[in-house]
Amino acid sequence: MALRIDANYESLSGASPWFTLAGSDGKPVVSLSGASGIRDRRSEISVGASYYLENGSISGNIGYSEEDDYRAVYAGLSGERHFNNDNTTLSAGFSYSSDDISPTDAKLFNRVTDEHKNSASAYFSVNQLINQVSSIQSGFSITEQSGFLSDPYKLRDVRPEDKTQLAWTTSYRRFFTTADDALHINYRLYHDDFGVSSHTLDTAWHQNIGGSYRLIPAVRYYSQSAADFFTNIDDFTQPLTAPQSSDYRLSAFGAISGSISLVADFGKWTATLTAERYVAREKYSAYEVSQPSTALVAYKRVSFGIDYSF
Amino acid sequence: MRILRITCLLLLATSLLTACTEVRPWQRGNFARVEMQWQTDPLESALNDHIFFSKEASSGGNSAAGGGCGCN
Repeated sequence: MALRIDANYESLSGASPWFTLAGSDGKPVVSLSGASGIRDRRSEISVGASYYLENGSISGNIGYSEEDDYRAVYAGLSGERHFNNDNTTLSAGFSYSSDDISPTDAKLFNRVTDEHKNSASAYFSVNQLINQVSSIQSGFSITEQSGFLSDPYKLRDVRPEDKTQLAWTTSYRRFFTTADDALHINYRLYHDDFGVSSHTLDTAWHQNIGGSYRLIPAVRYYSQSAADFFTNIDDFTQPLTAPQSSDYRLSAFGAISGSISLVADFGKWTATLTAERYVAREKYSAYEVSQPSTALVAYKRVSFGIDYSF
Repeated sequence: MRILRITCLLLLATSLLTACTEVRPWQRGNFARVEMQWQTDPLESALNDHIFFSKEASSGGNSAAGGGCGCN
């Protein structure tokens, strides 16, 4: 039996794309909400428990997350069973989330006031040991979302009220005994009925240094196609029921990121320092880009984490 | 059609890779190492998932989705 409690707090502020118009040259121009347009805090707590059986385990978790404009209650149940003298493991799980959305400054900007959405998700995966140093995992997940799926902070953002997401992932691990390091390769193929398809490929190298440190360089490539209703210039002549969005996250683009982590393991204490650079560009896309977004992001991130096990 | 072709190719590659030999319990020491886990750092993985989820349209994978992100 194992019990796990997670608590998380984060805050952010900054500008956010509000709407897009055609400039004097006909190209899209993004209007931002202003540098102080978005301020938000998020608190989350979740509790999980696992019960171990002779040939597998059963796990469950419940959680609650709250932002200034958002509340979510979620729960999940999963199980795994070992076969073939523990060389093969089948896993399956189900989760459900009930979310309430109440945008800030709703009256001032004529935004929706109280909306709701539900998400249900299920997955199935197979792990297989290949030999003494390598293993592979392949899994499939399906998520159904219904309710308010639009972005309430955009001047015009109308999305369908149902969405089905399919993801197929394959992961590979290989340990190199003489070099004392491990190679991780993960691939995900994704498709949803908004019309977005994507490829995600990431690889990491876990290099042990001495007995207590690990250096982990990693690279990730991501590319997605555009949603069927993406437009890079908002069309305010369309009826309010017609799906359209200028959200860059629904445009076709590619993104490359690289990171390096240093992990220090002192028994019960583990400290992790990570630096990451992420750049999204239209030219990195593996898909055709008919309407490039002008709001693609690039960021640098430095994070520090401490784990304590007892 | 393109997705179907890629899926078939990857399924074929997966089935070729899984031409495996039985690994006995006393030969599994490497799989107990932290760097060989599917998720080596759950906290870091959760942070990464949250960041990518808020910047890209795709989500989902080998575990059922949680909840609690306001990014539509």
